[in-house]
Amino acid sequence: MAKAELKVIGSSPARMGGVERVVGKGVYGIDLMLKDQLHGAILRSQYAHAKIVSIDTSEAKKIPGVHAVVSAEDAPNVRYGRSYIDRHILARGKVRFMGDPVAAVAADSPAIAKQALKKIKVVYEPLPVVIDPEEATRPNAPVLHEDMPLPKTIPADSGMKNICGHTVVKVGDAEKAMAEADLVVEEMYETKMIHPQYLEPRIAAAQMEPNGRLTVWANAQAPFPVRQEVAKTLGLALNNVRVISAGLGGGFGGKGSGITSGAAIEPICGLLAIKAKRPVMIVLDKAEETISTTIRAGAKMYIKTGVKKDGTIVARTGKVFYDAGGYSGFGVQAGGRCANMLGGWYLMPNCHIEGYSVYTNKQVCGPVRGPGGPQAAFAVESHMDSIAAKLGMDPAEFRLKNIPKAGDKIVGVPKLRDVSLGETIKIAKEKIGWGTVKLEKNQGIGIATGSWIESAGPGGGAIVKVNEDGSVTVHIGKIDMGTIPGFGIPMIVAEELGIPVSDVTVVNVDTDASPWDAGTVGSRGILVSGTAARLAAIDARNQIFKMAARKLEASPDDLEIVDKQIRVKGTPAKAVALAAVATDAHNVIGEVIGRGYCDNLELMAEEKAHGSSQPFTTHACIVEVNPDTGNVKILKYVAVHDIGQPIHKAAVEGQIEGAAAMSIGQALCEQVVFDPNGRTMNPSFVDYLMPTINMMPRIETTLVPGYPGAGPYGAKGAGEIACVPPMACIANAIFNATGVRINKLPLSPENVLRGLKAAGKA
Amino acid sequence: MSVTINTRINGQSVSASADASTSLLEFLRDVLEMKGSKLCCNTGECGACTVIYNGKPINSCVTMAADANGAEITTIEGLADGAKLHPVQQAFIDTGAVQCGYCTPGYIMSVKALLDRTTKPTQADIEEAVSGNICRCTGYNKIVDAIHLAADRMAGRV
Amino acid sequence: MEYFEPKSVSEALAVLARHGAEAKVIAGGTDVMVDIKFKEEPGGLINIKKIPGLSGIAEHGAGLRIGALTTIREIETSALMREKLPVLWEAAHQFASLQVRNTATIGGNICRASPSGETLAPLLVLDARAKLAFADGEKSVPFTAFFQGPGKCSAGVHGLLTEIEIPYPPAGSRGVYLKHAVRGAMDIAMVGVAVLLTPDPGKNNIQDARIGLGAVAPTPLRASKTEALLRGKPLAAALLKEAAALAASESSPINDQRSSAEYRRWIVEALTRRGLEQTWKAATGKEVA
Repeated sequence: MAKAELKVIGSSPARMGGVERVVGKGVYGIDLMLKDQLHGAILRSQYAHAKIVSIDTSEAKKIPGVHAVVSAEDAPNVRYGRSYIDRHILARGKVRFMGDPVAAVAADSPAIAKQALKKIKVVYEPLPVVIDPEEATRPNAPVLHEDMPLPKTIPADSGMKNICGHTVVKVGDAEKAMAEADLVVEEMYETKMIHPQYLEPRIAAAQMEPNGRLTVWANAQAPFPVRQEVAKTLGLALNNVRVISAGLGGGFGGKGSGITSGAAIEPICGLLAIKAKRPVMIVLDKAEETISTTIRAGAKMYIKTGVKKDGTIVARTGKVFYDAGGYSGFGVQAGGRCANMLGGWYLMPNCHIEGYSVYTNKQVCGPVRGPGGPQAAFAVESHMDSIAAKLGMDPAEFRLKNIPKAGDKIVGVPKLRDVSLGETIKIAKEKIGWGTVKLEKNQGIGIATGSWIESAGPGGGAIVKVNEDGSVTVHIGKIDMGTIPGFGIPMIVAEELGIPVSDVTVVNVDTDASPWDAGTVGSRGILVSGTAARLAAIDARNQIFKMAARKLEASPDDLEIVDKQIRVKGTPAKAVALAAVATDAHNVIGEVIGRGYCDNLELMAEEKAHGSSQPFTTHACIVEVNPDTGNVKILKYVAVHDIGQPIHKAAVEGQIEGAAAMSIGQALCEQVVFDPNGRTMNPSFVDYLMPTINMMPRIETTLVPGYPGAGPYGAKGAGEIACVPPMACIANAIFNATGVRINKLPLSPENVLRGLKAAGKA
Repeated sequence: MSVTINTRINGQSVSASADASTSLLEFLRDVLEMKGSKLCCNTGECGACTVIYNGKPINSCVTMAADANGAEITTIEGLADGAKLHPVQQAFIDTGAVQCGYCTPGYIMSVKALLDRTTKPTQADIEEAVSGNICRCTGYNKIVDAIHLAADRMAGRV
Repeated sequence: MEYFEPKSVSEALAVLARHGAEAKVIAGGTDVMVDIKFKEEPGGLINIKKIPGLSGIAEHGAGLRIGALTTIREIETSALMREKLPVLWEAAHQFASLQVRNTATIGGNICRASPSGETLAPLLVLDARAKLAFADGEKSVPFTAFFQGPGKCSAGVHGLLTEIEIPYPPAGSRGVYLKHAVRGAMDIAMVGVAVLLTPDPGKNNIQDARIGLGAVAPTPLRASKTEALLRGKPLAAALLKEAAALAASESSPINDQRSSAEYRRWIVEALTRRGLEQTWKAATGKEVA
């Protein structure tokens, strides 16, 4: 559809659900209150690695006001997991990180529940702890999962331990090409564990219905996987489990991986409700979240690149140790993504990367906003500047020398349809004043690019119901956490049906009524549900036209919808109200219900035939480093993004600004800190430091048009990609300011000052 | 031990009892079932629970419910005039500053208190007012835009 | 948990005499409420905010008296405080968030006796005194003798801090409070350095130097060896360097989740140097040569 014909796409109408949020309505999971609800609480492991010798719940059960106490023996002996099915909802036999759920209670009040937890006697036999992912692979490392086999691609005699995922990237002959390079640069980069720290604590509520069904309320990004896994772990049939979502106060992928994301809070709550025969609600506190729920994994990345004198990259080898945590969680997928992206998004004729996802005695990896990408980009994009420095080349020019063009392949993408990477670099240079801005002492300028893989993922559907007054109710499988249900979806439906955006309501996900969805993750909201909603709206429109055509004695092909009227093109007087047609439907087809879906196989076939259009980006910044304290202040920050056609412009900018801010936090101040026993030392907001307004620069966003994506109207996903460049961007600016390369995150004042002192610069 | 609380919330007299250890946030959310003020860190570090207490923005999570006795408290539920939103609320919608919306009530209360103190806030005024309000979604850009838009509208500059 | 709202100092002291061992005094609540939610609920809570006369800032002779229940925000917005005791004003200005400053009290910050308490190093360099009420009478304790360890101070479990007395520094003095943090005021100070410098009448030498260090020892402390080194001398570059290094050696920081001990010592050195430079320039108009 030509741009000029679009009525609302690309504008920024008011958020659906905005009024409720600004007046303080209880739209979130945490606002739920069930009649007669009990308070649930979870007892978590006190050891990072230990055998469970015994659990005695008898004292706890005696406390007045306690209605249920459960441990592993009260639940079916069923495991759950994503790639490796390696976990029980309540620890059985062993605990593998501090925060692993061991038992749970349901009581009349939070105070009684807390009391009851204290009375549960667990006898542990502590085991040696391993918290570094590289160390955990060594032959002498303690083994976390004795009964999980190593991936088949790891030789049995390798002596490697604790590996749950193995990714091998092989292009050409990297070792040979490296030997023939003019210059070889070899480095190591390390990122730390981050918690997504959405502001709304995670909850679960459950009640057994009179007919034996279990209803679960969850502020989860993936209600259908939650349903699947609750049913599986509690031994219930899928049609007897109903999961209802609410609005979410943030998720960022941390609420995204079925029951894994919350360390099984949903089935544990269901189990308590079944045993107590009363509704139960569990509300985690934020400190409990930090130690138990899914995180962004740390990674240790070894990267080596060979180049010609003129700056052409000829080879890359690398090794990734990706920290999956106590269970495999999303660590296999994220580790695989990290290994692929270590090959970068530049032309890479020869490449060999080995990626290991590794068990350690820490929190479990989840699909947190761009899983694997920001870690890889920290290494790749810092490394690019190190190479440029050794070559004596401008870092931007070095990148431009190696960018792919239409038709080329890059690691992980067999064929690119078009390439906006070069244009994003050029615009970023211009916006930041690359080569022109005057920098003062201790100031530096840095640049970093990024990409995110859009393709390959589950499909999804949409249902569009046209009400008697011409307003529309939409069912999709994606939840609202500031994502498409509030923004792009109402616009797409309004666009196709010719009605005001405010006439469209997207309802919360209810697994009894909504179409199945893998979860609001992976930047696939607009691609999957946007495509589905558009097709569903078109389907509804076709039904409307068929009925209206009879009334107007015209052909359906000659009709259009304008201002809630169906009229004959060219003869606006021949019209009938949308509301009238929708009402008359009762006597014809019952109701206008449009159905649409995004066909994943079709998408993949299209990409195979014509190439995929990746959402490239370049970020640039100017920083000032305090040589006495190591504090880094960002003076200017630009983010240049190709995200195809933005559906809701302000929402897309908001996703970019928010994702960039998250990675700026990871760069400057965020990390989960551990002691050698695996205890999290900074679980609360007092010491888990997130960026506050005074330390954030204004993020100047530029959207680059002209590179349509596979989404509706040419949209591309925008939720994650801005997480990819910021850490390297800031590290490169620090390098420019001081000549010091910091290769371990965070770029905290201490780490920066330490780097400066080691280099004799402070 | 139970305490009786006689207070005024959003201009209405309220009388209820609660355990002495109850925070003002728990009193609002669990006793009065007013869900607008949000529970997040529960340690006074994030501002999601901000209410206005005798004219001053405070963290209700680290304030005793007992201290509501004799106080005038304004919560997010008290800002709109029927269906007419307060200019700060409207500005947050208009600039796209509401993504997930969880920080929004606390932010709006801090901003309302700011604009009660000054009609043309500088960047320093803004940072003073909302450094204690964390937003995880927006990166703060559009929130700053909303603050300026609300200030300009309230002062009749736009 | 018992709950008390004493209406006078003597009533509070009576409650403390009976319950002080297991009950906690609560003022603003920004620390104690967190204890209640995340640690053990105490046996009782003694809410002292109903006691009249414990709040306010007033001139008294050649100094100020600050009621223990004065909020940090009241200190921050006091023109008198900003003019007369800027080093304490600067601590109030860098204290957490506005929401916290609106309820936290200076008495609460003091009696919490956290080594990183924002107001503590400034009170040390101002030679301020704590007025404590006990069942058997009042006591005036200089803050240099007030803190015994993390969470331990001269109020003990039965005393009540009622007032803080601060004499005006000698004429010509200049002071600064420098807080080191990752993000800014919101953070708990990783290091806090308060410097008060008094030049001699000719503005050639340091007549008196007072340096207070926070967050780098079990209590806030005065860097007395460094002060002795500086007294009577002009602040030249070599002396500045030596003094900053000596101040770092007088601190005994720990490794914790916020920072290593080594880094804290580097920051003590950096902030002492910067504090001395700034106050010397403000007091004498001279740059350090």
